[in-house]
Amino acid sequence: MTRNEILDGLKELMALVKPKLDLSGIGEDSNLITDMGLDSLSMLLLSLGIENKFSIRLPNQKPFQAVSEVIDCIAEQLSAEGQKEQTTQNK
Amino acid sequence: MSSYFYNLIPAEELAQVKYIPTIPEFLNWIENKWSDKPAASDTVNTYTYREFCTRIARKRALLNSLGLEKGDNVAIFERTSIDAIEMFLAATSAGYVGIILPTALPAQAVIGCCMKFRVKVLAVREEFSGMVKDAPCKVILSSAMSDEAAPSAEVDRNDPAAIFFTGGTTGAPKGAILPHRALMRGAFNGVFAPGSQLGWHRQICLLPLSHVFGLIRSTLSAFYAGAEWFPAEDMKATIGKLPVIKPTLLVLVPGLCEILLGLVKMYGVQFLGGELKTIIAGAANVAPSLISEFDRMGIKLLAGYGMTEGGNLTTGNADVLTHPTSVGKPYDGQELKIVDGEIWFRGDNTFLGYYGDPEKTEETLTEDGWIRTGDLGYIDEDGFVYITGRIKNLIILANGENVSPEEIESPFYDYAELRDVLVSEQSEGGKSVIAIEILPRPGFIEGKSEDEIYGHFKKVVEEVNSKLPSTHRIGKITIRKEDFPRTGSMKVKRN
Repeated sequence: MTRNEILDGLKELMALVKPKLDLSGIGEDSNLITDMGLDSLSMLLLSLGIENKFSIRLPNQKPFQAVSEVIDCIAEQLSAEGQKEQTTQNK
Repeated sequence: MSSYFYNLIPAEELAQVKYIPTIPEFLNWIENKWSDKPAASDTVNTYTYREFCTRIARKRALLNSLGLEKGDNVAIFERTSIDAIEMFLAATSAGYVGIILPTALPAQAVIGCCMKFRVKVLAVREEFSGMVKDAPCKVILSSAMSDEAAPSAEVDRNDPAAIFFTGGTTGAPKGAILPHRALMRGAFNGVFAPGSQLGWHRQICLLPLSHVFGLIRSTLSAFYAGAEWFPAEDMKATIGKLPVIKPTLLVLVPGLCEILLGLVKMYGVQFLGGELKTIIAGAANVAPSLISEFDRMGIKLLAGYGMTEGGNLTTGNADVLTHPTSVGKPYDGQELKIVDGEIWFRGDNTFLGYYGDPEKTEETLTEDGWIRTGDLGYIDEDGFVYITGRIKNLIILANGENVSPEEIESPFYDYAELRDVLVSEQSEGGKSVIAIEILPRPGFIEGKSEDEIYGHFKKVVEEVNSKLPSTHRIGKITIRKEDFPRTGSMKVKRN
């Protein structure tokens, strides 16, 4: 999955988490708090949405600030999942 | 007692419950009343009320072996867990005073709290034990217990039972001391909601035990009613288990209600487990639209009002559909009145004072026992209470905690390019957001465009945000072109 595809998936979730948000200007550089107005609870909802949509588990780390950090984390988890599958298939 | 609350539950259930004014008597009562019913479960281990009370008695024995004296402070640094509530009930039933520290506290603040509150024993979750190596007191694991059980101590209803933080969790919090009678009055009041309440509920505790709403309404009231209680050690993981645990009642802050609605929009109403009948919402303003959205799903969302200093539950509203903007009627065991527009109350539920702070105590607690809430409101002709505003300068965060704006403002004064800032709670699209107004220094803005200035201060806010607890973060920035209105002493005037 490319970073752009992940960003599109994120935008779909954002539309549910913050229905009134204008998504057109959201990019990798956007800040989740100061640009998108997410508080700690809507961040929790977004995390739950991400885990279900991408079938991954997000590590409990320092909360995200930039959209690019979220994409980094999803990409990392997707690749870890992919490697796990690969190993299973190779067995 | 106004029969308003007593009439909510069936008469045969009303006959079974009574106000029990101390924790030792309460533990004795729940052990006998609900004995073999499940009390607490983390979905791996489930303990019956008898087993739960025995574990508490073994933790009590451990505390007793540490050389504590009656009234000594025992702090607990834990997640929302079975070990945390057991250790708290062990301490309070042994005659000590329990202090549950917020999980988000950094190590330094934990140590600071132990010093400020002269904590004698700190019970800590194993994963946090590395953080408290320098604690100025005895440190034990919250999961530890003796082989033998110890009986409860004799306590008076007016003896201090717990200290709760209020008015800020990152700076210098005030510690509100609650006696046994106040904790137990709140717990008893919480039992009353429309319909049958005894012996069948499954409740997930999603709120922190360091907050009265989490400890009293979401936990002690659950044990009063013989519910099975599931603590959310990890909020995200536990919410993911909603379809499995199938809760029947939840106690939530409005922000968490919004999350549930978001989940229903994403995955359908079955995500809530299909058995949820009642949500008790409070600790922050509940929007009437939330009430109607849950009503459409057949879930009653009941709002109430209370504060730490008043044992959590002061009023409750069982008529949310006819009075959606009211916080309801005053609970039993207290009086409530309006003085110069401000809500005052007193009764079993009132606190004893702020720890080591007679001045602040005197500001809040009158000589004849009334609490000045700092909230403005009125009572209508049918006895329903309405909140219209706040005198006290506090921001109520999405998770129900209170924080003073000064606490969020202080890190900004490290930046020389700004002259003054003002943090306030603002409403955006029906939701509250923490907003900041920034007054730049004249020398800094010279020759810069508005976009450059905004961009610079946005970076400053993001830098400060990264150091603040996630609940305290600023979501809205305004750059001021003109000076703030100021007081006679040239301080920024707050509205």
